Amino acid sequence: MTIPTLNRILYVEDEADIQAVAQIALEAIGGFSVTICSSGKEAIQAAPRLGHDLILLDVMMPDMDGPSTLMALRGIPQTAATPVIFMTAKVQPHEVAQYKEMGAIAVIPKPFDPMTLSATVRRLWEEAHG
Amino acid sequence: MANPPSDVMAKLQALRDSFAAQLPGKIHEVMAVGDTLCGGKSNEAEEGEALKLLHYLAHKLTGSGATFGFNAVSDAARALEIFAKELLDCAVPSSAAQRAQISAYLENLQRAAGQREKKSGANYWQESGAPAPRAPDSNSENRLIYLVEDDPLLAQDLALQLGNFNYTTHVFHSLAEFRQAVRQAIPAALIMDMGLPDGNGADAIMEIQEGRATPLPVIFLSGRGDLGARLAGVRAGGAAYFTKPVDIGAMVDALDTLTAQKAPEPYRILIVDDTPSLARYFALTLQEVGMVTEVVTDPMNIMQALVEFAPELILMDMYMPGCNGLELAMVIRQQEAYVGIPIVFLSAETDLNKQLEAMRQGGDDFLVKPIQPDHLISAVTSRVRRYHILRSFMTRDSLTGLYNHTTTKDLLDNAAGLAQRHNAPLAVAMIDIDHFKSVNDTYGHATGDRVIKSLSRLLQQRLRKTDIIGRYGGEEFAVALIDADAARAESIMNEIRVSFEQIRHRVDDREFNVTFSCGVAVFPPNGSAAEFNEAADKALYEAKRSGRNRVVMGGGE
Repeated sequence: MTIPTLNRILYVEDEADIQAVAQIALEAIGGFSVTICSSGKEAIQAAPRLGHDLILLDVMMPDMDGPSTLMALRGIPQTAATPVIFMTAKVQPHEVAQYKEMGAIAVIPKPFDPMTLSATVRRLWEEAHG
Repeated sequence: MANPPSDVMAKLQALRDSFAAQLPGKIHEVMAVGDTLCGGKSNEAEEGEALKLLHYLAHKLTGSGATFGFNAVSDAARALEIFAKELLDCAVPSSAAQRAQISAYLENLQRAAGQREKKSGANYWQESGAPAPRAPDSNSENRLIYLVEDDPLLAQDLALQLGNFNYTTHVFHSLAEFRQAVRQAIPAALIMDMGLPDGNGADAIMEIQEGRATPLPVIFLSGRGDLGARLAGVRAGGAAYFTKPVDIGAMVDALDTLTAQKAPEPYRILIVDDTPSLARYFALTLQEVGMVTEVVTDPMNIMQALVEFAPELILMDMYMPGCNGLELAMVIRQQEAYVGIPIVFLSAETDLNKQLEAMRQGGDDFLVKPIQPDHLISAVTSRVRRYHILRSFMTRDSLTGLYNHTTTKDLLDNAAGLAQRHNAPLAVAMIDIDHFKSVNDTYGHATGDRVIKSLSRLLQQRLRKTDIIGRYGGEEFAVALIDADAARAESIMNEIRVSFEQIRHRVDDREFNVTFSCGVAVFPPNGSAAEFNEAADKALYEAKRSGRNRVVMGGGE
């Protein structure tokens, strides 16, 4: 089974500092093309037009959190099948299971190491398609 | 996989610096919300909003703090976040006690931010693999120990003895007191009596560990030495188990291991490659798994790096301008000190005969470029690990783990040379335990060895990682204090002398104290490293002659 190429990533995160680190980590080190959205709402508006390969979603955001953003994305035809990875500080095993049940392919614990984030994303992508 | 461009580190560092610069403002923001909440003037709706905002701001600081390596800030913010969440969930107006609790969390957060600010100059991203930054002389912050013990005499005695090894001990006589405290500050380690009047120590620990991402290092203390009791300790996540009466030496050993933040000695790799970007990439790859690297891009400069960086493995490009890798390997191998150092060649060469030729000339392995990062890491790790162990047998004293006589001498020479070249201050101290022969004669050699170990441990704790500590002879130690002038060296050595004097050594039911004499010479004297050592020796002799248990400064003052 061939694994589709991973190129375009949408990163949804409300904290500007972490956005900046993630952008460097994914673009400069991983060579991905990255779009950043600062809220779930922004992501729902932008995602259908942009057509990303993968969406990284922060779990805890004000107003619309990660899981509700995921639900909304699943309701939009263009993003109904786009793989999603959650990013969160609190990863208990049962929570990971819960997030996966919601349809996420994986959960990346925060804080992430910027030097290895791209490799982690790539590995999870390959595992999900393997 | 794309190589990380060289400016990635700079960009990340710039981000971290900007976070550090903004941190006081962010803390201020959280404090302001906290003040609204704790001022008690707001109505219920306003209070709910403030609490929500407080929770959100704390959550953000938890995440970004950890991302940028401000772990103390992140931990303090996390404690606040969890508490705020609890209050939010129960949805009733907060009590005065709860508001006081919030104030306590906020204070902690402010303190944590203050601590880290001092270090913001450190290069965090590149540090991630490198050794811990030079520790301050008395880093009491990360040496905080909580002791939960209901016997006041035992508690007081333990705290006093641990104090001699630079641990600050907070004593709690009951579980209730301790539970309250652990919510506010996290100690470096915890010593817990198994049996306490208000409950079982092991159960309390299990409950506390459950809510923590990284378990708190715990040492159990008990009157019982049976397997059942020990098992209960292990099941509660105890890292060590001591029976009463406590062997202080062994307990300090356990605490040292538990509170050590990094592997004590990272592997040291010298990278020789004339392409700077490639050399940097190899360096980053190896740093990521905790190794320390030094890059030489002009092969003609390798001799200086060999001496000053003291690598444990050389990763070398085969074809370079000026001289090739094979020649360089032969030059290195012709010097006795480097006969055993592993040399790993890197080249695009795929011809097996040429590879074999390279091995014959003194190479230990041959890696073909381009190489996968994990192949590079495993090839380097397996060779350097063996050499590291072998070399530690050759360079370390087996009893104390300090440098042996020969190595100490070499390192002192090296330090003197460096100090001279950079015109930096340097102090060398010679230490000799007083009346050591009578300790051996009275209490036996095993006890004598323990005394030697306790002094070696004290030196390792009180001096910085960059200082050189060696066991020079039987009961004689040599220490080089890098960057220390006379006044500083004298005060450091005197502090150590006083601490050592206070340590009570225990044999069966007898207890005794031991002292040492110390002579210090300060650079720059007018002369060589040998003259330098001689000046320190002379001062030591003077310290002995004038009555022992003292520090004497040498060098014609």
